[in-house]
Amino acid sequence: MITGVGGQVLWVDLTKGTIEKRPLDEEMVKDYLLGAGYLSRTLFDHIPKGIDPLSEKNVLGIATGLLTGSMFPQASRHVVAGLSPLTDIWGESHAAGFWGAELKFAGYDAIVFTGASKSPVYLNIRDDDVQLLNAETAGIWGKDVFETDDILKGKHGKRIKTLSIGQAGENLVRFAAIMNDRDRASARSGLGAVMGSKKLKAVAVRGTGKLEVADPKNYLKEIDKFHKRMMANPFTEGRIKFGTTSLVELMQHIGRLPSYNMRQGVFDGFEKISGDAINEQYFVKARADFSCLQRCGRYTAVRTGPYAYEGGAPEFETQSSMGSRCGNDNLESVLFGHHLANQYGMDTISLGATISWAMEAWDEGLLTADDTGGVDLSWGNHETVVKLTRMIALREGFGDILAEGSARAAQKIGRGTEKFVMAVKKQEIAGQEPRAQKSMGLAAVTAARGADHLYGFPVLDEAGFDNEIKERFGKQYLPEMAERLNPKYKGIMVKECEDYMVMVESVGVCKYGTQIPPEFFYDDIALALEIHNGLDLSSKELQVIGERIVNLNRLFNARLGITRKDDCLPERFIKEKAPTGPSAGEIVELDRMLDEYYTERGWDLKTGLPTKETLARLGLSKDA
Amino acid sequence: MTELEFVFGDPRICSGCTTCANTCSMYFYKVISPARARNRVIRVEPALDFPLFCRNCEDAPCIEACPEQALMRTSKGIVIVNNKKCVGHGECVKACPYYAIRIHPDTGKAFKCIQCGECVDRCPADAIFMTTEKDLAERDKDGSMRALYEQYKDVIYDKEEDSL
Repeated sequence: MITGVGGQVLWVDLTKGTIEKRPLDEEMVKDYLLGAGYLSRTLFDHIPKGIDPLSEKNVLGIATGLLTGSMFPQASRHVVAGLSPLTDIWGESHAAGFWGAELKFAGYDAIVFTGASKSPVYLNIRDDDVQLLNAETAGIWGKDVFETDDILKGKHGKRIKTLSIGQAGENLVRFAAIMNDRDRASARSGLGAVMGSKKLKAVAVRGTGKLEVADPKNYLKEIDKFHKRMMANPFTEGRIKFGTTSLVELMQHIGRLPSYNMRQGVFDGFEKISGDAINEQYFVKARADFSCLQRCGRYTAVRTGPYAYEGGAPEFETQSSMGSRCGNDNLESVLFGHHLANQYGMDTISLGATISWAMEAWDEGLLTADDTGGVDLSWGNHETVVKLTRMIALREGFGDILAEGSARAAQKIGRGTEKFVMAVKKQEIAGQEPRAQKSMGLAAVTAARGADHLYGFPVLDEAGFDNEIKERFGKQYLPEMAERLNPKYKGIMVKECEDYMVMVESVGVCKYGTQIPPEFFYDDIALALEIHNGLDLSSKELQVIGERIVNLNRLFNARLGITRKDDCLPERFIKEKAPTGPSAGEIVELDRMLDEYYTERGWDLKTGLPTKETLARLGLSKDA
Repeated sequence: MTELEFVFGDPRICSGCTTCANTCSMYFYKVISPARARNRVIRVEPALDFPLFCRNCEDAPCIEACPEQALMRTSKGIVIVNNKKCVGHGECVKACPYYAIRIHPDTGKAFKCIQCGECVDRCPADAIFMTTEKDLAERDKDGSMRALYEQYKDVIYDKEEDSL
């Protein structure tokens, strides 16, 4: 029997209004773990082909990892998944917080929502007692994420944890986030809109149960060792001090800071939106999530002026998306914009990237005030960035078109604006100018959920992890694999990183600690799964599980028509040389890297799909 | 009697990670469960995280309140629960102004922090420390740390909220 888990999965049929508790399928856990792997399998089996992601046929899953709620460093995470309304393919997103651990303490590892409710509802979980309640009479429908949290706490007790959508999700903004613990976001893939389409406003949970562990005698002893390593890691100090915010400086330094809709990877105003600038004036506190030692979460405040707020914000991704990407060096607007996006429940990456697409189209003369209803889209207009954030969430005026995401908006407007969509499979590329780090360019096209830096999170060529490359791959791959501008061996690296990262997302721990810095690797996860869950899985077996999940995600997308032809970057990155900065003159040698990647994966070079042999090896033959 | 020790923490520094609570429930009960930890961590906006422990009061109202005389102070100054005597009717819980003694959901008996220090060693933010009233006055010269506990007492010591 698997220990350290809730042991049950909630199946909620929103059409019928019924709730079923099913025991956790332990056989499935052995092949897919929990979290991302569990949802990959479950949704592959339950989402029919050819449906509208915003119809009641879509299935929305939320799952904790095997270690979520454990004492392993950063074991705070949960995963949401479904068919994405932004990309129309596999949609998946992750968040930290306390909600996932609380769900475990209530006795559940995952929730699967099927169907759609006619009127707004929310799920209220109090240990064994699980109820679908009316969201309108509770007064939360139409409210923002913070108000929803406040109202539900007033109603069900201060100690509950909430996960909810804001107005953006209700209004079916295609990049709406699912928020939890106020400022934690499962942001990418627009699954907040799926919640909205199902008229599911929130999931409140209070769990007073316990997690029994497999090896109570040695548990603290082993955990202490993990903790000591995490605290002693040279990156931890900077993580506590800056979170992700100092990446602005690092990315500027290597020419990877998306600027002006990714025309270039350097931004003159970078110092004004940097981690240092935040710490000087706006930083209040470093905040942690459950079992988190590195506390990268920022609590910040702007005390006066039009952008006054306080709360959890920002991340590097927002500094780049609402800052440099829009040519905006007004830090207070970036911080406030992030806060607003949390409040309305939106992905700041797609949000900033969609605004910056419109700004470039404006700059090129393809969009005018007639299109925007008078909104001025000049580069760096910080008032516009903030104003559009509201208009998009509420689908007002020009915001209604932008709420569709840049790819759909460009398709609707036409006139050549399509050229400036910086997306892969309709999802906007995150804060990594791919010409400045080739592995990131490749990872953006191979990721299952469309453009994405986290599915593989290949950072080993970013900050001098040569030793880790040597240990993980062998010294024959040096120096090329460690060189960020060199396409060589990047297919091998991205494949290896993807296998590992999806496994990490299936156990519920953070990429901080497992990938950057690469402090914990397969053998550490195997040990944690042994002492916590009583699972006897070798490093090799865990790697194969990761590989199985990646292949199953690929099959999910293949069923929807995805092949090699879709694994492409915007022309800008493969044809136009980076115009300036430390990576000037670079393009992404995508085809060459893809060949290497497919070969390494055992996927057909022409179709980009898993071969029969590969599927047989992973036990997926019946799924093709 | 030696000066009474207790664990205390700065809610401005505590990051809210709950490592102290997890350590406690694991150390004493071999499970991970905030409901079974002898300490508590309560997040309060704006930007505060309160790590909460037994304050080891000089006059310890919990001892007085117990009709079974199940609570006593040891020679080292620690207030402990005698499980043989405790029948769990919760008079001590009612008497404690800090909600630092509760009824354990599995044993049905009172349980509380006994100043073992296991959590202090493991706090990744160095937010909590073993202290005495005298030492605390030294650490918190301007009284701002203790003032926060006073300011938010209705939230952090709310017993109804935490009980099932």
